[in-house]
Amino acid sequence: MPEPLLKAERIVKVYLDGTVALRGVDFEIRPGEIQGLLGENGAGKTTLTKIISGLLPPTSGRLLLGGVPVRLHSPKDALTCGIGMVHQHFALVANFTALENIALGTGRPADQALRASIEELMERTGLRVPLDTPVENLAVGERQRVEILKGLSRAVRVLILDEPTSVLTPVETEELFNFLRRLKEEGVGIVFITHKLREVLEITDRVTVLRRGEVVGEVMTRETSAEELARMMVGAEFRARGRRPVELMTEIPVEERRVGAERAREPALVVEDLHVPADSGGEAVKGISFELYPGEILGIAGVEGNGQTELVEAICGLREGKGSVRLRGREILGLPPLELYRLGLAHIPEDRWKYGLILSFTVAENAILGRQRSPRFLGPLAMLKWGEVFAHARELIERFSIQAPGLEAPAKSLSGGNQQKLIVGRELSQEPEVVIAAQPTRGLDIGAAEYIRDILLEMRDAGKAILLVSADLDEVLELSDQVAFMYEGTFTAVTTPAEVDRETAGLYMGGMKG
Amino acid sequence: MKRGYDTLRSVAESILAAIIGLVVGGLILKAWGYSPISAYIALFEASFKDLYGFSGALANATPLILTALTFAVATRAGLFNIGAEGQMYLGALAAVAASLFRLPPVLHLLVALAFAGAAGALWALVPSGLRATRGVSEVISTIMFNWISRFLAFWLVANVLVDPYRAEKTITVLPTSRFPTLVRGTDLSYAIFLAVAVALLVYFLLRYTVTGYEMRAAGANPDAARYGGVRSAKVIVLVFLLGGITAGLAGATQSLGRPPSYAVFSGLPKISNLGFDGIGVAMIGRNHPLGIIFAAIFYGGLQSGARVMQLFAGIPLEMVRMVQGVIVLALALPELLRIFRGFRRRRVELGGER
Repeated sequence: MPEPLLKAERIVKVYLDGTVALRGVDFEIRPGEIQGLLGENGAGKTTLTKIISGLLPPTSGRLLLGGVPVRLHSPKDALTCGIGMVHQHFALVANFTALENIALGTGRPADQALRASIEELMERTGLRVPLDTPVENLAVGERQRVEILKGLSRAVRVLILDEPTSVLTPVETEELFNFLRRLKEEGVGIVFITHKLREVLEITDRVTVLRRGEVVGEVMTRETSAEELARMMVGAEFRARGRRPVELMTEIPVEERRVGAERAREPALVVEDLHVPADSGGEAVKGISFELYPGEILGIAGVEGNGQTELVEAICGLREGKGSVRLRGREILGLPPLELYRLGLAHIPEDRWKYGLILSFTVAENAILGRQRSPRFLGPLAMLKWGEVFAHARELIERFSIQAPGLEAPAKSLSGGNQQKLIVGRELSQEPEVVIAAQPTRGLDIGAAEYIRDILLEMRDAGKAILLVSADLDEVLELSDQVAFMYEGTFTAVTTPAEVDRETAGLYMGGMKG
Repeated sequence: MKRGYDTLRSVAESILAAIIGLVVGGLILKAWGYSPISAYIALFEASFKDLYGFSGALANATPLILTALTFAVATRAGLFNIGAEGQMYLGALAAVAASLFRLPPVLHLLVALAFAGAAGALWALVPSGLRATRGVSEVISTIMFNWISRFLAFWLVANVLVDPYRAEKTITVLPTSRFPTLVRGTDLSYAIFLAVAVALLVYFLLRYTVTGYEMRAAGANPDAARYGGVRSAKVIVLVFLLGGITAGLAGATQSLGRPPSYAVFSGLPKISNLGFDGIGVAMIGRNHPLGIIFAAIFYGGLQSGARVMQLFAGIPLEMVRMVQGVIVLALALPELLRIFRGFRRRRVELGGER
């Protein structure tokens, strides 16, 4: 076995906020090998590669380059050591040409000498891009090639690709794979980060699987199967949360409550053949249809970035889409958020700092965001009835046990869990018919997360229709009555949690059709 | 609770900044061999020692309060409105135009003010429409509109509103539409009450109305505002119209309330830069309507102090300007930093993961 190009030993990373991202990870990159790095969101893939490429310092552990310990203080250090990384979001100057982008940061001019060497490189690797077109006019796949060429032109020995296929069309993906195979033959060590099982099996030689900051398996690709990888990725056991079974939460037995006559009611929300464009071009949601019934939770499981965000934003009026979304029979696609609000659609947004809260606003001001023009709060002369606003905020604080230093404290002074409770409380306080909850417990501590889950179950029992989008598979399986698995903009399977085990769930999330 | 603490901190920051500005300015004076102490005494005595001097400071402050509001309202809503200057020119001239016909006192003044506000708002309409519908940067468009307005104003002074007997100025505003003088023998007119009232009104709007809530929401977090049903196009147009009105009124306070000429001169000598100075005043006042009142008086005091510094402390005007610049810059710095930090934070957020 050849000597590894780069070795990471017992890498631990604790972020400043106390999140433990990596718990002693060992990792090797060998020459002439494509190494897959597989894992769910939050498994630590990105953190590990950021440490290897000099973007983050490890909390403890060390990196060995050809057997010699190194300290990387910046991506520039890493490049000097022959380690290049292609990020999911490209670092290109939009109005520079490919050649200028390649020259940038090298200190070399974008002259004929550089052009000649890049053309030679393109010839050798088969990775061709037009050198004189501004990057903004290139297709996404071509931009990625520019990124890769940027790395190769600096003679990297280790190339890290973070979810490289997430932005590519199938044809572009095939071209990338062909190119990676050639590069491998030249002795470059390649790290291929993904959550797509099919791609791992197709392109990699060896796979390291991360789960919750730990290496849970390292296998040779030819000796493994999609089933085994799925099992390793999502874990075989349910997380022991010690929560009461869902069935016990209501007086009526689950079976009676949900099957038979009652199910014949009208669905509260019907989505039909919904297409949503992606920011990077192409489609993020490719024709999804489902029905959401009152008193039920429909969970959408899947690795983040498979179109969930776009799906939710389109339903909630924050993004354009094609197709049909009907709320109790009324077409709502394209209506502005405030109108949807009035019709009874509540949205707990996945990014609470982007959409959910105005951090510099007070708790009271945030408590009415989206309802500022409702008759309860709006007085004569367009004046807000601050007495009512404060009363409302006080109600939320009481009902959802929000810990806040005061009604006039800015929202940023609340902890993450209390911020989320404030959003959830605000959204539910207007008695919606349909609740769209996107990643409602992400980043919360266990207590707060449990609390939010209980509220969702309560709302379901009160007859609301709930769409739960979550990257946390356990959460989806535990709370949902129906579960759909989303992969690359479509549902790979729609079933009930009882009918799916975790291995199958992992396969669905990795793109295997049900 | 928290809010009171923030206010206190802002005031403390401003006082500290003022001290730093004075010290640095003093060092500059010292380095060129002038006495900072006597210079500063001259500077502040000029404006804050007696009623006469203070009246001058208030007279200077009057238009600055209004143009500062133009900038501040926009900044609160996340927009950079540099257009007060041009809107102010047209406001000044529209107020003069009201003297083309005769009306009873008071009513004539109100009509002239309405003209001025409407002219300013009209001039703000195009940049705001471009921003709201086409996404054209309001910074660029308002600067361009300032130039258009400037030459339009030159033309209006020379050709339309020209005084038939004195070609270098417009007709003189009729006494019926003038602001009465408040302190005899000074430039201070009742216009100061208009400026303060407008500032209070803007404060009320931002703090207590749903419109103000939505403007502030759009400024603090545009995504969350959209999620909360705020229509950004509406906010943009509203903010610009409001700013245009206050800038237009700022112009009117000069043509209707500045003795002895009650007219606009060709080349716009007396009103040039009032809009730009307003940006500095807004910064010093932390883009807060009440802070702006005090900032404008301070700024106005510096302006009238400059002449005295030159006369009595024997310091060349250029040096005086430099020292003033240092003081203003120091005072504006905390707010400038806050705005830029906001931008950087927004960029980091866009960058996604940590």
